[in-house]
Amino acid sequence: MKSRKRFITDKIYQSLITLISLIGLVILIAVFVFVFNKGSSLLSWDLLTGDYYSTVYDGYYDSELTTNLFVAPDDLDSDTYFSTRWGIALKDDLDREGHDYILIVYVDTESPLANLPDKNNEGEMVYMASGQSLDKIIFSDNTIMLSSKGAEAAISQFESATGIKDIMFTTAGKGIRGSLITTMYLIILTLIVALPIGILTAIYLHEFAPKNNKLVNILRRMVEMLTGVPSIIFGLLGAAVFIPIVSTVTGTEGGNLISGSLTLAVIILPVIISSTEETLKTIPDEYRQASLALGATKSQTTFKVILKSSAPGILSAVLLSIGRIIGESAALIYAIGTSIKDEIIVTERSTSLAVHIWSVMSGETPNFELASAISIIILLVVFVMNLSVKMIVKKISY
Amino acid sequence: MENAFTINQLNLKYGEKKALDQITMDIPKNQITALIGPSGCGKSTLLRTLNRMNDLIDNVRIDGDIRYEEQDIFAKEYDVINLRTKVGMVFQKPNPFPMSIFDNIAYGPRCQGIKDRKVLQEIVERSLINAALYDEVKDRLKESAKELSGGQQQRLCIARAIAMEPDVILMDEPTSALDPIATAKIEDLILELKKKYTIVIVTHNMQQAARISDNTAFLLMGELIEYDKTDIIFSNPKETKTEEYITGRFG
Ligand SMILES: Nc1ncnc2c1ncn2[C@@H]1O[C@H](COP(=O)(O)OP(=O)(O)O)[C@@H](O)[C@H]1O
Ligand SMILES: [Mg+2]
Repeated sequence: MKSRKRFITDKIYQSLITLISLIGLVILIAVFVFVFNKGSSLLSWDLLTGDYYSTVYDGYYDSELTTNLFVAPDDLDSDTYFSTRWGIALKDDLDREGHDYILIVYVDTESPLANLPDKNNEGEMVYMASGQSLDKIIFSDNTIMLSSKGAEAAISQFESATGIKDIMFTTAGKGIRGSLITTMYLIILTLIVALPIGILTAIYLHEFAPKNNKLVNILRRMVEMLTGVPSIIFGLLGAAVFIPIVSTVTGTEGGNLISGSLTLAVIILPVIISSTEETLKTIPDEYRQASLALGATKSQTTFKVILKSSAPGILSAVLLSIGRIIGESAALIYAIGTSIKDEIIVTERSTSLAVHIWSVMSGETPNFELASAISIIILLVVFVMNLSVKMIVKKISY
Repeated sequence: MENAFTINQLNLKYGEKKALDQITMDIPKNQITALIGPSGCGKSTLLRTLNRMNDLIDNVRIDGDIRYEEQDIFAKEYDVINLRTKVGMVFQKPNPFPMSIFDNIAYGPRCQGIKDRKVLQEIVERSLINAALYDEVKDRLKESAKELSGGQQQRLCIARAIAMEPDVILMDEPTSALDPIATAKIEDLILELKKKYTIVIVTHNMQQAARISDNTAFLLMGELIEYDKTDIIFSNPKETKTEEYITGRFG
């Protein structure tokens, strides 16, 4: 009777534990599903490699139109419209902000539109190409094509037109290449600064500092405390200390990538110190003794045996730090700025992917889709980093 | 008979606790000297003073003197690193580094600045042969030392010590973590090593001391009770405490 009761309570506890862990799992999966659902439609190579800023081109065509008819390429979709007289294909699409526009799908190499005289700069040319959007046309008979009428209407106007007074088209834009590069720069520069300092500090604290020393213990406490300080406070530090220093040294002004990296380095330093020290604690004393007994010096012991055996642990600290660098936004808003850039210069403002998401979401019309697409890219970066670190660890551990 | 070590009135304290009390003894060259006695009597402590591994422990106070090759090893200007290259040590628990077999053995020579791959290869092979391990591992020198069995690991540690070409090898209960077969192999090896090295071995196992050592020192509560030729200690000890210990009446 008693054992039956015990059996039942045990079963109840077991099911409770399973249930609660399932809830956690479902929530995590739901986050992934949500992000992928929202963002996957925008995900493309162009998003990754494209410029953020679009350029508007303005051209005209006043020559005689040849009577040759162009042939549509075979692989056009059914919702794509082709002009046989002008050799271009158009289609209706939604841009990364969610607005309707006409996408230029195809421009024949012989098409008169492939190179047009520039309306604003005498003697210059502008080039229409696939991937751009078609904004507005005034034909020579003064009829106007507006993108809001759609691709089909535009093509039928093209088919009856003989010349173009003014044609405006725009490169895609809203790409995140700049922010992706900034993020990579941040990861590399931050680790270059923080890793050596962090590892050496941990080694000092654990291997060289006098044991049971009050000052050392206070230092250690402070490091531990700093791991819990909100990053926005470090951001202030970056703005107050690093920006002026870097500006003075490089002769530039305002937030910049270097200040951002230095700020991030300060943020991850306590993490690297603590986790490296935790790793050092797990290295058996036997190794130190064996090494010293072989006539190795203390520094040889530290660098050849202790540090080498701690490499896997230190690498996971690196991984943690990379996650922190990629995810950080608050501290960076001051230190590096929020201005999205296409050309990245380390002494100037730019923005990381995380802050890019913040900008996208804090505009007048928050763009969930784009934010989600960027999130997916961040997830992928983290995933790839994780995988490669795991592989390295496997390679170097004995 | 030449001595490797002469120990004179050695006292050692861990904080307030006395661990070695007025130890005076000579350790002859190219012989095996065994230190026996019950747990906590100071065998390991005595062994560790011989290559100054006690330096690593806080609060250790030592007085008296130890001469190695006639030199005072506690002298201020004495080169401890050099002492440890001449006086190797094998620990109770096999403690190979988490590296390949090759790197484990090459570690000591590398720390002395030897970089030539060929020279290192030679040292590694010779050390493994002398530690009677070569045939078992010759095809996997690049593999982790941690994958070897306990007995193999301990022989690797001996090979690692031999690689330094020391004069003395200190061994602290080198077989206590091993099974009887592995123990027998190590004992054979120790007898072989005796031809070239001075060996000081701490052992818990009296048969082992009787089997392999030339001299035996019996310690009790930090004091050296009796020190003599091994056959005398085991057949005709002068002290009753020694007799009681080796006949198993205590300890
Ligand atoms: N690092 C240490 N700190 C303090 N006391 C120690 C330390 N090492 C050993 N002792 C003490 O010194 C005495 C002798 O220890 P040890 O030399 O290890 O004995 P044995 O090897 O004969 O078992 C023991 O009482 C032990 O508790
Ligand atoms: Mg001991």
